Amino acid sequence: MTPFISRREAFRYGLAGLGLVPALAAYAAHNPARKRSCIVLWMSGGPSQLDTFDPKPGHKNGGPFKAIETAVPGVQIGEYLPEVAKQMKHLAAVRSMATREGDHGRATLHLRTGNLPQGAIRFPVFGSLVAKDKDVPDSDLPGFVSISPRFGAASLSAGFLGPKFAPLVVGGNGTVFDATGDDNTGGLRVENLGLASGVTGERASERRGLLDDLEADFLESRPGIATESHKSAYQRAARLMRESAAKAFDLSEEDAKLRDRYGRNRFGQGCLLARRLVERDVPFVEVTLGGWDTHDNNFAQVKNLCGTLDPAWATLMADLKDRGLLETTTVVWMGEFGRTPGINPRNGRDHYPNAWSVVLGGGGINGGQVIGRTSPDGMSVEERPVSVPDLLGTICHAIGIDPAGQNMSNVNRPIRVVDATTKPIQELLS
Amino acid sequence: MRSLITLSTIAGLVSSGMAGPPDPQELADRIDARIDSRLKDEGVPASAVADDAEFLRRAYLDLTGRIPLPSDVYGFLSDDSADKRGRLIDELLETPRHASHMAAVWRDALAPETASLPEARVFRPGFEAWLRLQFRANTPYDRLARELLTAPLSGDPDEPTPVLRRPNDPNPLAFFAVKEAKPENLAAVTTRVFLGVQIECAQCHDHPFGEWTREQFWNQAAFFAGLDRSGDGLFAPIAERNDVRDIQIAEGKKRAAALFLDEQAPSGNNGSSLRGELAAWVTSKENSYFARTAANRVWGLMFGLGIVDPVDDFHDDNPPSHPELLDDLADALVEADFDLRYLIRAIGRTKAYQRTSAMAAPSQSDTRLLARMPVKGLTGEQLYDSLLTATGVRDSGNRSSSREQFLTRFTLAGKLSEPETSIPQALALMNGRFTANATTLATSPTLTAACDFPGLTIAERVEMLYLSTLSRKPTAKEQDRIEKYVAAAGTGQLNERLADLFWVLINSAEFRLNH
Repeated sequence: MTPFISRREAFRYGLAGLGLVPALAAYAAHNPARKRSCIVLWMSGGPSQLDTFDPKPGHKNGGPFKAIETAVPGVQIGEYLPEVAKQMKHLAAVRSMATREGDHGRATLHLRTGNLPQGAIRFPVFGSLVAKDKDVPDSDLPGFVSISPRFGAASLSAGFLGPKFAPLVVGGNGTVFDATGDDNTGGLRVENLGLASGVTGERASERRGLLDDLEADFLESRPGIATESHKSAYQRAARLMRESAAKAFDLSEEDAKLRDRYGRNRFGQGCLLARRLVERDVPFVEVTLGGWDTHDNNFAQVKNLCGTLDPAWATLMADLKDRGLLETTTVVWMGEFGRTPGINPRNGRDHYPNAWSVVLGGGGINGGQVIGRTSPDGMSVEERPVSVPDLLGTICHAIGIDPAGQNMSNVNRPIRVVDATTKPIQELLS
Repeated sequence: MRSLITLSTIAGLVSSGMAGPPDPQELADRIDARIDSRLKDEGVPASAVADDAEFLRRAYLDLTGRIPLPSDVYGFLSDDSADKRGRLIDELLETPRHASHMAAVWRDALAPETASLPEARVFRPGFEAWLRLQFRANTPYDRLARELLTAPLSGDPDEPTPVLRRPNDPNPLAFFAVKEAKPENLAAVTTRVFLGVQIECAQCHDHPFGEWTREQFWNQAAFFAGLDRSGDGLFAPIAERNDVRDIQIAEGKKRAAALFLDEQAPSGNNGSSLRGELAAWVTSKENSYFARTAANRVWGLMFGLGIVDPVDDFHDDNPPSHPELLDDLADALVEADFDLRYLIRAIGRTKAYQRTSAMAAPSQSDTRLLARMPVKGLTGEQLYDSLLTATGVRDSGNRSSSREQFLTRFTLAGKLSEPETSIPQALALMNGRFTANATTLATSPTLTAACDFPGLTIAERVEMLYLSTLSRKPTAKEQDRIEKYVAAAGTGQLNERLADLFWVLINSAEFRLNH
């Protein structure tokens, strides 16, 4: 076999390693026995920071929304997030995201993989990296579940990590949310998880028994990744079809009042499903809320979206807390960029990567604070600019992953979990 | 550090005075000699020759992109002539399906955006149609590359050339359109696909792992600097200005002039097309990288891994597994005037290609030695077309949404020789609608034939299902197991049990993989 790291590269990595000593020490400080999970609330389209977490009351860029007090004295947020405001002790707003991509596709890839497209390298999305790092080979549930995503394939790809770490998609494109449906999942189901109509459980298990018998010789005579992966995927799929695993997706087990509190809509029920999954040790779950691309009529749209977001997110925080899960579950609220402080003639806001906000909370995060500051007009970051690698590196530390860890890529070169430029936001980490 | 591509390494061999390309069998024997001597050195035994059915299925998948029909299997198995394997390769190369398969493969290499970017998908049929024409005519590979790189564009920025007229018409400009006509993108794909050099990592900084500098990357990009897109977006028309001879290095003030990778300047004056100069240099018979990369790519298609692997990543720290063999193949390709079919004819005739994929000894674990045929994954297209062939279900149209959905879900992930199956893929094949239809009598032509054809024994019905899916007859052991399975259900359940068997075969690793 050809060694994949030359001396020259080893030297390079050695140097890189030296620079990482403080980061690794911080990593080791975490208790490795704690199982940590991450829930990302993905605001597809790019949410308006001025109307949510970086209000500019009194400035013409601020728009018509008021700012309200939160549970943390001195920290104000937009008026249509009153329930989230009550959870502010557990949340930290980063108001100084400074990125460069203003195109939905490229920015989404950048935020989701930590990298911009580079030649033939197929970068995995962050959730796949987490799933790989926290892989439990025998678990019934996959390591990464994406709830109602609205991405292209590249933004859901495990890239060079391979399909084993690709997200299990629930409620993907084309599914219809139906709160009254008799299956009680509200449309948030795993595709093809149920047997085809007319196939009984007994018949299905007879088929699988016959499959095991008939392909045993082939699998044995052709050892290698191809056959092992095939076998493993079928075993994992079969485990997922088991009642106990399939139950994780059955929201009808939840108290009806709690379901009401989350909101009887796709995002609200998706947040509830996310809680059920982290409760069962799924390390990475994302829930998408689309519609934030508010070029027109921004304020009515944001108000409407907050009506969905606010109860779902606040209930998620409270529910995690009630169940003792908040300390081990990092919750991240983010989109691909922010929106222009200036209001356009259609009463909308356009794409704006220069200065925008994300929110982190829960496990590993020192809540109740604000990181960074934008100028009074919201146009620029005045304090503590945060890059994409900085953000992802911070999440890594919060959930106990070494951002300097490496995976072998499809171009036969090891690639770090997060780019070497990462400077995690230390003051955010508990 | 920078290394230059040396241009004259194979020039001596080109002029060896041979009248034409040698007999493919002659090259096949040379290939086997190289591989066998390496196996001997390593003390690794080679696996036995594959039986006819295994070879047939492999050749169909590799050359035509789908499994053979049962009639193809019967025909091949009953043919007693000694040269039938070589003849099969030759015959498959002449089929329209071969051209379609090669077009799909090169479309994926040259313009993966046509699958991965939803808004670029409309360019896919036109680009594939253009490639299909080239492969049907067996256009020499160097000419194909030149015609692609120099696809005609208006010289007048006020009257730029549209990049999309009718989506199904053959359209080489799709290549430029999906790269957004950006010099950086075009330089990256050209050097990667045609020269096996991944220079694009040097776009932002000096190549961390290889030999290329940032400036060299922009020297390549400068060959496309004259491309002038009217407006933004993939559909903006493009013109070419031949007076633009250099390019501004991103986020800097410096400009880079067009320079070949060997640091030579193009000879032409301001009136010439830099694209044309680059195309001529890239495809020159003296440019050893072009022939080696082409030969390596064809090799990779047939064995699942290149002699240099990945097939488009030639650099000092990624040496070839069989250096002399790669030289042999490149030389032969040059002598054959870049006739890719000649190379395939030779490779298809080797003992190495005709070995079984079954392991004979644990010491065969290094797949690159080719002691046995590596097990390859199927591309989404290969799997979909094979499923249609196996079930007899007709595709409702080339761009039907079920096909698109299928291709998206079953996009080959990982290396061809190390394919991975995902949970959603397994669930789709176990419980999805396609499988449900294929295993239901009313909607499954193959199953209907196996169940309803009068006068057959159960064993013959089982054989029909095996031939349709695994392209071979069942073994006695398998017949035995299935007989028990059928009997266990009691009488009157035969059709249901045959449907179960069909489900099993479609879901088996043997169907899902190209072995």
